[in-house]
Amino acid sequence: MANHIVSSYDTDLQNLRRSIAEMGGIAEKMMADASHALVRRDVGLAQSVIAADPRLDGLQREIEERAILLIARRQPMAIDLRETISAIRVSGDLERIGDLAKNVAKRVVAISDQVQLQKIVVGVEHMSELVQAQLKDVLDAYATQDTKAAFDVWERDGDIDSLYTSLFRELLTYMMEDPRNITFCTHLLFCAKNVERIGDHTTNIAETIHYLVTGETLAGDRPKNDRSSFATAESPAGA
Amino acid sequence: MSATATAAPVVGQSRADESAPVRLAVKDVNFYYGDFRGLKNINLDFRDRQVTALIGPSGCGKSTLLRTFNRIYSLYPEQRADGQILLDGRNILDPAIDLNELRARVGMVFQKPTPFPMSIYDNIAFGIRLYERLPKAELDDRVEEALRKGALWDEVKDKLRQSGMGLSGGQQQRLCIARTVAQRPEVILLDEPTSALDPISTGRIEELIEQLRSEFTIAIVTHNMQQAARISQFTAFMYLGELIEFGPTNRLFMNPAKRQTQDYITGRFG
Repeated sequence: MANHIVSSYDTDLQNLRRSIAEMGGIAEKMMADASHALVRRDVGLAQSVIAADPRLDGLQREIEERAILLIARRQPMAIDLRETISAIRVSGDLERIGDLAKNVAKRVVAISDQVQLQKIVVGVEHMSELVQAQLKDVLDAYATQDTKAAFDVWERDGDIDSLYTSLFRELLTYMMEDPRNITFCTHLLFCAKNVERIGDHTTNIAETIHYLVTGETLAGDRPKNDRSSFATAESPAGA
Repeated sequence: MSATATAAPVVGQSRADESAPVRLAVKDVNFYYGDFRGLKNINLDFRDRQVTALIGPSGCGKSTLLRTFNRIYSLYPEQRADGQILLDGRNILDPAIDLNELRARVGMVFQKPTPFPMSIYDNIAFGIRLYERLPKAELDDRVEEALRKGALWDEVKDKLRQSGMGLSGGQQQRLCIARTVAQRPEVILLDEPTSALDPISTGRIEELIEQLRSEFTIAIVTHNMQQAARISQFTAFMYLGELIEFGPTNRLFMNPAKRQTQDYITGRFG
């Protein structure tokens, strides 16, 4: 796209893009580290995830302020207005992703002295890897304004929901088998839920990319396969 | 909502009414300044009781197009237009059309306020007297009505006999709008009506345009993109004598279809 007649306008927009990229990098790392910390029971790594969050919050506030200032000073139109609004939205999603990763890290600290059921931790790790791939793809799609790639991310969210539903059922089963698993499994359930919600934020970003590039909102309902709201534990016979 | 004679006031409704009847239809219009073709095959509909903004860089033909609607160009022998401009179905480019009558039906306000060197009262009454002979009391009423519609009455009611030249720039511009409204036109043409005014006067004129929309079809040329986005329902973008894009204002400013439009409204025009 051609440059603006006023070159500082381009600089303003570039700075927004750069800050979003920085936020994306931090959010990706926080999420990967939280997941590793969970699998490896690495409290130190979990603490570093918690420590990274204020930087992400600060960047979000900065992006918001700069976007508002840009609107006030330059009254952006068309693609420029959409890009400014998108920056506000995406920074909000990334900030939430950071919060959710931080919450996983806090739970890693909380359950560090519990007996771990490695099999089910691996299930959460697998789900986390899928979501990390989604996050990476959507950030790339944002940087390159690739609606096709964004749409792919949007569509794949259904797989993550399905995975979450099966993890939910599995965790219920473990808890029923042995009440001593309840503390650990409940924390793990929240970890899984956090990861699933990070997935939701990546689809929000995918929707924003579609709006940014086309000026239209993504029509139709997002594929949702999260059935955990309807899952119940069957009481053992005779209980 | 379809706009009929009994339609509810549309003030405050900023959405374009694409079902409103066409008041002014421009069909294959070309315009020539001597040998230079200033407008190229323009086709454009102006809808009833909607504000249509004409935007584009200097020299793109937007003022030229506006000047064809009341044939003000015919003051200059080397200027001519062809094609058709239908006002309620009648071609106003037809040489047989009565220009005085046309200019009463299509009023115009210019960039620089142009009050006559006479009293505020006479500035309004002058135009009415050209077309109608009214008893004094009725004329007074018409002057008051016009000044009220021009959002000027409260500021000038105690000094109607003072010169119109003594008013501030913004008041002078509202006086000119009131003078236009006094003729009870169908279409009002505004050629950069606020470009010489401060933000407060500009705000008053924009508010006035919003109110006048319930009665008149309005075409406005403006260089202020935000103004076009604020006050119009439809926008036409012109460049080098051609109509590049036309559509509902909300769409044109959020998601223009043409690259040239996007470059212009986002300040990328090189």
